[in-house]
Amino acid sequence: MLVEAGHFALTLALGLSLIQFVVPLWGARANDPVLMSVGPVTGMAVFTCISFAFLALTIAYVTSDFSVMNVVENSHSAKPLIYKLSGVWGNHEGSMLLWILILALFGAVVALAKNSIPQRLQANTLAVQAAITIAFLLFILITSNPFTRVIPAPAEGQDLNPLLQDPGLAIHPPLLYIGYVGFSISFAFAIAALIDGRIDAVWARIVRPWTLGAWAFLTLGIAMGSYWAYYELGWGGWWFWDPVENASLMPWLAGTALLHSTVVMEKRDALKVWTVLLAILTFSLSLLGTFLVRSGVLTSVHSFAVDPERGSFILGILIFFIGGSLALFAWRAPMLKQGGLFAPVSREGALVLNNLFLATACATVLIGTLYPLALEVLTGEKISVGAPFFNFTFLPLIVPLLLLLPLGQTLAWKRGNFLGTAQRLYAVFGLSLLAAMAMFAFEYGGPAAAPLGIGLGVYLVLGSLNEIVTRSWSRGTPLAVAWRKAANLPRSTWGTVLAHAGVGLTVIGIAATAWGVEGLATLKLGERLKAGDYEARLERVIPRVEANYREDVAVFTILRQGQVLGTLESMKRLYVTRGMPTTEAGIMTVGLGQVYVSLGEVEADGSVGVRLYHKPLVLLIWIGALVMALGGGVSLTDRRLRIGAPARAKVSPAAPVPAE
Amino acid sequence: MVIWIILLLMTAAAVMAVLWPLSRHRALAAQQVDPDTQFYREQISEIERDRERGVLLPSEAEAAKAEAGRRLLRATGATAADAFAAVGEPALRRRRAASTLALSVIPIIALALYGAYGSPHLLTHPPEQQAQASGDKMDLMAAVSQIEAHLAQNPQDGRGWEVVAPVYIRMGRIDDAVKAYESAVRYLGASADRLANYGEVMVLAKDGLVSSEAQKVFEQAVQLNKASPKARYYLAVAAEQDGQIEKAKQAYGELLSSSPEGAPWGDVVRQRLASLGGEQPVAGQEDAPQIGAADIARMVSGLAERLETQGGSPEEWARLIRSYAVLGQRDKAVAAAERARQALAQNDAGLKTIDAMARELKLTDAAP
Amino acid sequence: MTRKQRRLTLIGIAGGILAIALGLVLYAMNDTIVFFNSPADIQAKNVRPGTRLRLGGLVKEGTVQRGTDQQITFEVMDAHGAIQVRYRGLLPDLFREGQGVVAEGVLESATVFRADSVLAKHDENYMPREVADTLKKQGHWQGEANAAPKTQ
Repeated sequence: MLVEAGHFALTLALGLSLIQFVVPLWGARANDPVLMSVGPVTGMAVFTCISFAFLALTIAYVTSDFSVMNVVENSHSAKPLIYKLSGVWGNHEGSMLLWILILALFGAVVALAKNSIPQRLQANTLAVQAAITIAFLLFILITSNPFTRVIPAPAEGQDLNPLLQDPGLAIHPPLLYIGYVGFSISFAFAIAALIDGRIDAVWARIVRPWTLGAWAFLTLGIAMGSYWAYYELGWGGWWFWDPVENASLMPWLAGTALLHSTVVMEKRDALKVWTVLLAILTFSLSLLGTFLVRSGVLTSVHSFAVDPERGSFILGILIFFIGGSLALFAWRAPMLKQGGLFAPVSREGALVLNNLFLATACATVLIGTLYPLALEVLTGEKISVGAPFFNFTFLPLIVPLLLLLPLGQTLAWKRGNFLGTAQRLYAVFGLSLLAAMAMFAFEYGGPAAAPLGIGLGVYLVLGSLNEIVTRSWSRGTPLAVAWRKAANLPRSTWGTVLAHAGVGLTVIGIAATAWGVEGLATLKLGERLKAGDYEARLERVIPRVEANYREDVAVFTILRQGQVLGTLESMKRLYVTRGMPTTEAGIMTVGLGQVYVSLGEVEADGSVGVRLYHKPLVLLIWIGALVMALGGGVSLTDRRLRIGAPARAKVSPAAPVPAE
Repeated sequence: MVIWIILLLMTAAAVMAVLWPLSRHRALAAQQVDPDTQFYREQISEIERDRERGVLLPSEAEAAKAEAGRRLLRATGATAADAFAAVGEPALRRRRAASTLALSVIPIIALALYGAYGSPHLLTHPPEQQAQASGDKMDLMAAVSQIEAHLAQNPQDGRGWEVVAPVYIRMGRIDDAVKAYESAVRYLGASADRLANYGEVMVLAKDGLVSSEAQKVFEQAVQLNKASPKARYYLAVAAEQDGQIEKAKQAYGELLSSSPEGAPWGDVVRQRLASLGGEQPVAGQEDAPQIGAADIARMVSGLAERLETQGGSPEEWARLIRSYAVLGQRDKAVAAAERARQALAQNDAGLKTIDAMARELKLTDAAP
Repeated sequence: MTRKQRRLTLIGIAGGILAIALGLVLYAMNDTIVFFNSPADIQAKNVRPGTRLRLGGLVKEGTVQRGTDQQITFEVMDAHGAIQVRYRGLLPDLFREGQGVVAEGVLESATVFRADSVLAKHDENYMPREVADTLKKQGHWQGEANAAPKTQ
């Protein structure tokens, strides 16, 4: 009963979305506030319907209702509860339902934020949102219906793909989707502005929190996915330049550019056309990512099903939205008025440069991802574009961007003084060089680029913090005063500093991978394997049986220069229902680095193939990403960016402003 | 019935959600402060605050304020031009049209799509019956998954495998049943009954064909117990499928004569014998398959004709060969295999498929 | 600076960055791309030893040999030939005889391939897509419904 009601709620949501698309758009054209007010109400109603459908599917999973095809294919009554829940989106149909749930959630939030968005803009935005919702609801209902029933119901399900039975899966897709789908709001605002033919700093101020939020979640999602691949796939790598990873990196790069160009637009009323274009491109890349992953043109652990019908449907959606929005852009963009002027050497100029580098880097990733597909379609030749390609093209574009980052952050708006700015960074330059040299001196061995990478990372972290120091402290200022000044700096400044320092931390983590060491051997009980200073001693191999799998657990003692650090467990699992083996790497964190043990075959005589890695500072890669996202979050809490901002106007300017 | 009432209520709620804002006649927007101008006013006061806090230099603050002021003027000019139009005859007409749209579009779309993709009929059974059915199902399911969990931990428990195998057959999981019997035989050792059951699921898994593997299993069963009726029956079927009609007739006859009166397999055996042109069947044809032999023959000849005229994949040829063998038309099976080899001469893998099928059906070694 | 000059500066910088990026991409396309080949392709195309490539096919049954210290050799075959693969490392979980596999590495001679990574991303009825395509082309493909006849 509940399942059928959930199914019906989805079709109702489609009807409501059609109303949400037509009526507010019409209202905005006719200047009729009553028609426009239909937008927020339907937005809420669509969200209610889709949440109900999602809830119905979740309940079917939790109660193991095997009359639902989707549950049969991806669940098992013996599966732990958390994976019953995460299994809802651990498959194609369910993940599309989650996608659209998040879309509707954002629509509902736009609907509620009526005090901070002009009504016409809100009506048009909700209409564009509704158009996206319609397309994806049709996709779900026609090609990927999660509510298809099987009668008679099988007695047991086929279990979830073991690779996906992991806490990482419970968090990774929702984070990623909030990021992807969040950019749909920036997109909807951009299209709404194009429809209206009017765009200004108000628009930028309204859009920025959305972009910022989406960007922060996408950052978390990518970092989470990277860490999941790192420990679950057992290869010790954290980024493979796999097309599916690229599919999430591209919207991130474009979104980062969008974030920065929105700042220019908000502060200086410039770069309007470019910002609108970026908003369109960012969401287009999100859609492209969805297409690449969902259509089965790529193979990876992420692609759930190969179904040409689905592929062509999503391709249709892709062409409609990208083509349509770019056509609208070409038609309306020339009507947008150009804004403020600035000198090439200025904060704006630096941000333009940032956008150029990011967009170009994004383009090289796009080429590397699509080229093999295009070549296969055209010539039938199969190639793989792997890490060497991306290292060769992506890095040379990103490194100059990172070098310029602290400079741009320090430059003044409108017209800056390059030399003056560089002077403010003397100390930072010096310290970073010192760090790089120290690395050369202490860590002999390893490629020469690694110490330079560490230097770059240190430069980024210090350069960002320098911003706080120079704005709150000058020679002779008492520390207490400087501290209060620093605390009084706008939160968006703190957010910027944190995000940029996060980039620096990630760079340090990546550079340090050069000093990673590994060893490989077949070990018998009591034997040792060495990697650098670290050793793993195989203590015992014990079989263990859990609810839905059985495993061989190899217990290792980890030693550093002969000193025992502790033990870790590494597993070889067999998931019974699917007969599928997986490897669970054993990981021990030592400081910011990790010792990582991956198992091979467990032989009949009890010997085990073992790969041991030591990865110094590897955690910084993800900590950096967390700090970046945190920066985004702090910036979001800036009062001026908050959704209900105009309320502040009532505060008397004379009243003392409490430290925030 | 209940489900339809619920669905109708949901639809009504959705339509009401749209009609509600349309029914509010007051022009709300008239009181609204224009957000654009509000925004710039706020910006100016904020610059003022920044200056007081010492974050901005006075000269910077003046410049910024001047710029914000210019924008404020521009925004005021822009919004004055387009006034809101919420009252009057056209507005009323628009609202009526929107209401009609909501009243028609939402129910039509929702019910049409749900009608196309939903399964409301699943819920039209009387609730008790359904509860009962699902209750039984739940018990069975729970039992099976319990046994499965137990077997996952103790795969050497042959008894468990033997218990779960017939349940698998009833659930239609034939391949699992094959594996279960295989494990049962491995861990409990061979007995005539066990082997006969094992052979039987192998036959089921091959849609009624007694493969050479299954035949070996039945032969083993007969060695252990000469009387095992099931094994003897399937061996006779195997002979029939191999085209050794006389041998099959003899085997069926012996099986019948050695069976006790009213044995449950009696009718089946008599039918098979009858189809081979042996003695007339006795009464009791209720169990006869609903698809007549003529229908099957027609389907097979249709396939043969299509393959003959239009060609087909190796899998289709293999199916045709198997069909002839199951029907006991051995000569035709051999002929079909020959033609398949000709038709697929260019296709190495196809030839392999045909050869594998021929081997499985023992079409080669039995050839005169 | 006039508005026009500013615009020209901007366009100049943008053009410069794009030109550099284009150069990098074109150069990398020549140098870092790895082609996918089946054993038959290698024979047919006469691939030079020393070439980096991805080799895909089925792991020939009975050819997997494990030496000391995880030194592993096996043969990858398709309908027309087989190539010996040497690999040192842990094999993926789903590596099995008779199943599809993709190995990336360097061709040492016409019949020996040294792999530095081995992939077997598939479940029980799924093969790496490249391998499945090649086998389909060669008419080796049985499809999932009619699984390969069991060896007796």
